[in-house]
Amino acid sequence: MTDFALDKPGKSRRPDLMAYATLSLISAFCAVPFFWVLLASLDGNAQLFLSWPREWTLNNYVRVFAEEDGARWVFNSLFVVGSATLLVMVLAGLGGYALSRTRAWWKQPFLYAILLIRVLPPTALVVPLYKILLTLNNIEGNLVRIFVGGDTARAIMRWIGFIDGYLGLILVLATMQLPLALWIMKTFFDGLPRDYEEAAVMDGATMLQRIRRVLIPLALPGLAAAGLFAFISAWGDFLLPLILLSSPELQTLPLGLFRAFLRVNTIDYGFLAALAFIYLMPAVIAFGFARRFLVQTFSGGVKG
Amino acid sequence: MINLRNVRKFYGALEVIKGVDIAVQDGEFAVFVGPSGCGKSTLLRMIAGLEGIDDGDLILNGKRINDVPPDKRGIAMVFQSYALYPHMTVAENIGFSLSLKKVPVAEINRQVGDVAEILQLTDYLDRRPAALSGGQRQRVAIGRAIIKKPSLILFDEPLSNLDSALRVQMRAELQRLHRELKATVVYVTHDQVEAMTMADRIVVLDKGTVAQSGHPMDLYHSPDNEFVATFIGSPKMNILPVTLSRPEAGRLLLQNADGLSISLAGADANTAKGEARLGIRPEHLKVSPSGQGDFSAEVVIVERLGVETYLAVGSLKDPIVVRAEGDLTIRPGDRVSLTVDLSACHLFDPNGRVIRRPQTL
Ligand SMILES: Nc1ncnc2c1ncn2[C@@H]1O[C@H](COP(=O)(O)OP(=O)(O)OP(=O)(O)O)[C@@H](O)[C@H]1O
Ligand SMILES: [Mg+2]
Repeated sequence: MTDFALDKPGKSRRPDLMAYATLSLISAFCAVPFFWVLLASLDGNAQLFLSWPREWTLNNYVRVFAEEDGARWVFNSLFVVGSATLLVMVLAGLGGYALSRTRAWWKQPFLYAILLIRVLPPTALVVPLYKILLTLNNIEGNLVRIFVGGDTARAIMRWIGFIDGYLGLILVLATMQLPLALWIMKTFFDGLPRDYEEAAVMDGATMLQRIRRVLIPLALPGLAAAGLFAFISAWGDFLLPLILLSSPELQTLPLGLFRAFLRVNTIDYGFLAALAFIYLMPAVIAFGFARRFLVQTFSGGVKG
Repeated sequence: MINLRNVRKFYGALEVIKGVDIAVQDGEFAVFVGPSGCGKSTLLRMIAGLEGIDDGDLILNGKRINDVPPDKRGIAMVFQSYALYPHMTVAENIGFSLSLKKVPVAEINRQVGDVAEILQLTDYLDRRPAALSGGQRQRVAIGRAIIKKPSLILFDEPLSNLDSALRVQMRAELQRLHRELKATVVYVTHDQVEAMTMADRIVVLDKGTVAQSGHPMDLYHSPDNEFVATFIGSPKMNILPVTLSRPEAGRLLLQNADGLSISLAGADANTAKGEARLGIRPEHLKVSPSGQGDFSAEVVIVERLGVETYLAVGSLKDPIVVRAEGDLTIRPGDRVSLTVDLSACHLFDPNGRVIRRPQTL
């Protein structure tokens, strides 16, 4: 993008300058909050308004991990969002393939119906969702307690419970992200000629060999895009963990940030900024990894 | 070698292959040719096993293989899109079928090397398909087919993605390959020039049926019907509606509204009278000094190529094409007198079936 002025040397420079100016403005607009947070997190005496730190320190970061349960929050967030993303990628890969190849009459209605999940505001669904999950959770809890006693049951439920357990949050997060991922994968497979699979069939590949050696490698760019969107979107979700999690050991990063902000006495901007920066990083890193694939996916699939 | 007996295919209620009989001999280069949508690809995919056969028998080397899975048929296929895996190198692409069968790596490498040698791909084995030219990709696709040592290789319009110069070159290359490998080839194209130049046997398909099958020159000189007559040969054969009558025994008089009136010998008594269609190739119409031809017509288009000149005469919408040797200085609007080469007249009945083939007088 940066060297497009070089591509057409004969042309007038004016439009290029305009383009650069616009792009710089947009980049600055996007980057400022990022640097604001970074600066504030390194400031020994951060205030609400941005100022150049007079005293550089890593103390804010140390406090996140030493005084608070920062490491735990990071782990919880990564584990929950990572698992949800993985689940979304597997389901969207299989489902998108099926949706792309089937000629069933319900294909179009189904595809639009699942988009509804995305369109409805999650806040509006919270009450019924909570009710359903609570019921499931109680049934599950009772079942678990048949086999194991109190403390062990509580430990198990922390992993597989629907309310205040990893599993419930993972499933709900994945459900929210699945429709878009399915659309991405369906569109991706639509652009992938059937010839690839038929060539593999002619070469004597079994179903498993076809999936492992042909389809997955070919679908990787699409999967990366779908996974990236799922990860970033789920990573940014705040409402669902707030409602579904209550145990301190299960807190995720956004909840930690929120609770730190709510603490009654003075607001510690340096600490909040450090926490916010930690919260920012995975999304940025994920984007960096997947950028390569994104370009491929949104510029017309695989080119043989 | 490969026999199709009354083979049919339905898509729902739509019959796309309507009872086809085809026989291809061992070592033959057979070309299925026909206009778009006539069912060439479908037929090829049925032979490959990628498409089911609804009725009839598909026989390969004396065995009915209707229900044999594609990879067990000993048939390889080169796809129109090449279908090269973008995530594999050229060598991995070519050796893919062997690696699926868990052939030892050393053996795969040896065979891939041999194939690459034949196809002049040795220098490109480590590249990805994206870094190859169209012709090279084409050769990789062929390599992937021939490494399986198939008894039959199927090609579905393999040259349609190449530019015209490369197409001519690949045509020669495919023929060389066919000679070297001594494999049987079934090749699908909609381009009759490709069919004419490469085939030992052409099968002309029309709307899911075989219009005619045979040696290219037989199809050219002696088409069974108007469809084959106009499909094979370029520019295509002229078809003129005529009225047939038999003024004297053994002779046939053809007349049309433009004043054409020619008399052919050798008509037998049961040749129908009445409406018929005269087929005459552009090279069998000759420009004559005015007044001496069989009929005259106004020239509407002149294409001067130097070595030959094409005249379109009659109406612009449905012209009669004349091929003349040399560079003629005729201009649109001129009237020309044309002579019909009587030894090269095809006659078809109103349904398009041949009723009289050209005969040397
Ligand atoms: N899956 C399908 N469902 C319904 N009809 C089909 C299907 N596939 C092909 N057809 C029809 O079958 C007929 C033959 O198709 P086919 O692809 O064999 O044509 P073709 O001769 O290869 O044409 P082309 O030169 O354009 O490739 C066409 O009329 C097509 O519309
Ligand atoms: Mg086709």
